[in-house]
Amino acid sequence: MDRPASRPWIAFAWAVLAVAVVIALTPYLWIVLASFKNRVDLFASIPKWTFTPTLANYPAVFIGKDYWPLAINSLIISTSSTALCILIGAPAAYVFARMDFPGKEDLFFFFLTTRMAPPISIAVPLFLFFTALGLIDTIYAVVIAHTSFNLSLVVWMMRGFFADIPREIDEAAVMDGRSRLGAFLFIVVPLAAPGIAATAVLCFILSWNEFLYAFILVAFEGRPLTVGIPGLVTPHGTLWGQVAAVAIVATLPIVVFTFIVQRQLVRGLTFGAVKG
Amino acid sequence: MGIVFEGVSKIFPDGTAALHGLDLAFETGEFIVLLGPSGSGKTTACRVLAGLENPTGGRILVGGRDITALPPRLRGIGMVFQNYALYSHKSVFENIAYPLRVRKIPRAEIERSVKAMADLLQIGRYLHRKPGQLSGGQAQRVAVARALVWQPDICLMDEPLSNLDALLRLHMRTELKRLHRELRKTFVFVTHDQEEAMTLATRVAVLRDGELVQFDTPQTVYRKPASRFVAEFMGRPAMNTFDGSVAGGKFRAASFEWAVPGLPDGPITLGIRPEQIELVDASATDSVAFEVDVVEHVEPDMLIFARRGASNLIVRAPNGRRGPEHGALLHLRFPPDALHAFDSKTGKRLP
Amino acid sequence: MTTRTASTRGTLLLDRGIGPLLVLPATVLVIVFLVGPFYYMMYTATTDLSFADASRNGNFIGLDNFRKLMRDDPLFWDSFLLTLKFVVLAVSIEFLLGFALAFLIFKFVARQRLLTTLLLIPMMIAPVAVGLIWRLLLQGDFGMVTYYMRKVGLLSQNAAVLSSPDLVFPAIVAIDVWQWTPFVTLVMLAGLMSLPRSPIEAAMMDGAGPLRIFLDVMLPLLKPIIALVLLLRGIDAFKEFDKVFIMTGGGPGTLTELVSIYAYRVNFRNWDLGYGAAVAFMVYLVVLILCSIFYKAIYWSANRPTPLGGHS
Repeated sequence: MDRPASRPWIAFAWAVLAVAVVIALTPYLWIVLASFKNRVDLFASIPKWTFTPTLANYPAVFIGKDYWPLAINSLIISTSSTALCILIGAPAAYVFARMDFPGKEDLFFFFLTTRMAPPISIAVPLFLFFTALGLIDTIYAVVIAHTSFNLSLVVWMMRGFFADIPREIDEAAVMDGRSRLGAFLFIVVPLAAPGIAATAVLCFILSWNEFLYAFILVAFEGRPLTVGIPGLVTPHGTLWGQVAAVAIVATLPIVVFTFIVQRQLVRGLTFGAVKG
Repeated sequence: MGIVFEGVSKIFPDGTAALHGLDLAFETGEFIVLLGPSGSGKTTACRVLAGLENPTGGRILVGGRDITALPPRLRGIGMVFQNYALYSHKSVFENIAYPLRVRKIPRAEIERSVKAMADLLQIGRYLHRKPGQLSGGQAQRVAVARALVWQPDICLMDEPLSNLDALLRLHMRTELKRLHRELRKTFVFVTHDQEEAMTLATRVAVLRDGELVQFDTPQTVYRKPASRFVAEFMGRPAMNTFDGSVAGGKFRAASFEWAVPGLPDGPITLGIRPEQIELVDASATDSVAFEVDVVEHVEPDMLIFARRGASNLIVRAPNGRRGPEHGALLHLRFPPDALHAFDSKTGKRLP
Repeated sequence: MTTRTASTRGTLLLDRGIGPLLVLPATVLVIVFLVGPFYYMMYTATTDLSFADASRNGNFIGLDNFRKLMRDDPLFWDSFLLTLKFVVLAVSIEFLLGFALAFLIFKFVARQRLLTTLLLIPMMIAPVAVGLIWRLLLQGDFGMVTYYMRKVGLLSQNAAVLSSPDLVFPAIVAIDVWQWTPFVTLVMLAGLMSLPRSPIEAAMMDGAGPLRIFLDVMLPLLKPIIALVLLLRGIDAFKEFDKVFIMTGGGPGTLTELVSIYAYRVNFRNWDLGYGAAVAFMVYLVVLILCSIFYKAIYWSANRPTPLGGHS
């Protein structure tokens, strides 16, 4: 469709969008700046947009306050729960995409409800459960919790990607003498690789950002960054430069990932209902 | 009052040039068919006239008025889309009524106009349905009704029949012709199907690579094609053509010769339509023998695919007698008045 | 024809017995760690279990907890209504703003990738980080936003947004809007981009102006996506915990105590687990209802009648 538009309209649109981008980015930009400020610049009552940057906050908190293991924990939790999710979820998604069996749609809906479950409702019994198993306050508890709640996302998102691959492809592979499982592993999975990658990245992001499960399941050992940051905030004398430094480390990988999977993001965040 | 394309060009933002200075003028009340292969610019020409695309050069006049800068809704043009483009959430009645509602026509009059148009197109029974419940042919009629209900002076149709099955297509073709006769509006019809063009048009505009190649009545376009391209595009099976050269009134192709009195010396392309080739006895002196390859029976005719050395041709003959065998020799005669000569470089018709 | 081949194809796979085998691990995991806890929660809700009171070690008390919840717990109902207010306000503002932005991008921006990616950042960073960022920005003595709000007279000299009873609720709504408007923009933009071209062009030919095209053609076609966005955001907003917890902890007083924060307090501050389970169950119930509507909406959007042969 031709979209002829008059100049004032274009100017107006760009002005609005520019304001929107500024509003969306400035808070994040501010905390980036804060992480490079010394105490004096941080506590200045008139906001300082220019200052002499310092790198001191990062070592102060990650080494001085021993926060680097938290970053490692975050990485371990996100990576392993993502890997588990894909390993367990992708085959299930393939079945949902390719087969009809009684109760299939109900089972599929059931997966969705588990995703939507409010963490606060599940956290209490999970807390009791892991206490009984002796897993409370360990990294395993968080990995298992994240895997279970991300699993439905994998199933929902991957079903769409598998459904996009024509059935004839796996059928041709079967005719060529492969087993069904072989067709799935060696033909379908490579074709769906971009989708799998996007799903994995989204899983990683959601696990990395998750707070409530981790907050309730681990108090000290195995804490990820999200649980660790609030501990730096005290009623008086919070070292905001250090808080900012941790916040940057906790968000920068995600910002990078966002740029990578932008195209698939809509699909993931709407459970495959909208193709971006 | 007529419709005039004056040097209309369209280059899309991606650099594709769809129209190169198209000049075309026709009168109100005509049934104009824009014909061409895909990529010829016929659809673009139609959409530029509709106002859905802005031309990058030239202008369009309707009744002497320059409408190039007008938005579609102010042009007084109705349009039928290839995929019908019905409003899936509105009933058939509301679909047809929409152009009238937009123009704030009184309720009673809308009711009357929609009913009348629906009756004319024999869809009166489906007015309460949703487009999803219609067959292709019915949806097609709704689209036509919607385009015509508000009495536009011009109605554009962009390949409207291409989504219908073969039988329905023939039927709708006749229907459209009747509709044109009864409403006396200007119809502009886009198609790549030469048969539709032949049967519907008062005049056919043949386009190729964004340029007008020939603009004339279907009969003239068929009998006196302006170029080798038009000759091969109009008529099925396509016209037989041979590259060769003329010397001393004799046309010499790769594997045969034929007398062509009156043609100047030099390289030409010679053409003859399959149905105009005459089958003669072996004894006839002015004939050339071709070897039969394949015979197809398209009742009541048959198509004989024959070759002689590097030259191939198709003969269309009545299927009265038994078909020739593969490998049999066929003696052919090319009547002088059935021969077309084209410039071998430009493809233009030689007089 | 097609349905028959589809089902025979299905059985072909089933025959090998692989199908159930492939879904099994996922199903088991979900049942053990999500469904099991759900039923355990329902069970706990019928007991008096408390870690704060040794005499209450999980005796069965029937529906007493729910009775108390319904009749004698104004704090629960306050938090519940506050959450509804939060959901309605935040989601409707996000929708209007987000849709408007999506429309501007759709109409006026040719290369949308960079722009939409920039807009995405607020919603992709951890909610905990969002809470901290805004806590810093709204800090009473040296917060950047505080400073500029005072400068233009939106805030008096000694007040701070997050401790002001009048401003704290609007603030958490505004921050949710800041974080999630991009989501609406992104999804609605995808919706606008996937709109079939021809009905819109047909409306142009039928004589409709831009406003009528928007109202009569685009909006009805976008309805399923609009329903999706509203429900997804509604469900998420109802579950809101992280950033409000970090920013205000539910305070000052209980002015921002959303229902999940209330549930957290009952369970992990008062350690009143039996009663807490009843509260958590109520939250789950509301989400489940919203969720089943969402599911219907998905199927509505998947099977929506498209304009005949309409393609984008």
